[in-house]
Amino acid sequence: MDHAQFRLIIPSQTRYLNLVTGLAKRASLAAGLDDATAAKVSIAVDEAVTNVILHAYHGEGEHSVELELRFTEQALEIHIWHSGQGIRGDQMVLPDPKEYIKHPRKGGLGLLLMSRFMDEVQFKADEVSGRNECCLIKKIS
Amino acid sequence: MADLSIAVRQVGDVAVLLPAGFINAHTVREFEEALEGLVEGGRYTILLNCKDLTYISSAGLGAIMGLIETVREHEGDILLSNLQDNVFAIFDTLGFTQLYRVFADEDQAMAAVAPERKG
Repeated sequence: MDHAQFRLIIPSQTRYLNLVTGLAKRASLAAGLDDATAAKVSIAVDEAVTNVILHAYHGEGEHSVELELRFTEQALEIHIWHSGQGIRGDQMVLPDPKEYIKHPRKGGLGLLLMSRFMDEVQFKADEVSGRNECCLIKKIS
Repeated sequence: MADLSIAVRQVGDVAVLLPAGFINAHTVREFEEALEGLVEGGRYTILLNCKDLTYISSAGLGAIMGLIETVREHEGDILLSNLQDNVFAIFDTLGFTQLYRVFADEDQAMAAVAPERKG
């Protein structure tokens, strides 16, 4: 079986988030995931792209965010590339929900949602191209 | 349909806020301003009726978290009702159902608040 994949490039602007999350949800359904799981994948993608726009690009809207969807027999992979400030895997510190509830504050929950709703979340840097990647993987059971 | 529209009505001492659409990093400021407007107006008991809320990201959760201490310091609270399944999943996954009181519908939320307000 051929593994389908396609790419989408959007400006680094939050107005396009809904377009991306809608695509992620439909791609999840096409990959064979159920409605509830598809909704979770779309939320994880929202969080990942929001992080790129607000943190990697510091809210600057003139950059681009590239997404690639890969459909394999085992999983749906969503790769998100940008050339802004990167994050390494060892910098991914997840907040403890119990501590968060004791000391409520804004922010810090996006990574937690991504890690809870996806099977794998990876951050990589491509030294050749100078780009950074966030890879989200959802296994198809 | 707009990305997000927000209606507010007052039922007794409770401000009922009805967001319709989705709350993400693009629309969160509007949601935040609606919540802040209620708190600045002295309305500290707020029910979020989420029947028409299709989606909320951590940006929206942050807006709620940012005000919870303030409303509780004034003996108020933020309540939630009519959560769609995927919205409930977000709150529940993060353990927020321990922090907020969640009701099946608006009537149940009002019934739970009424004795407190009288007491």
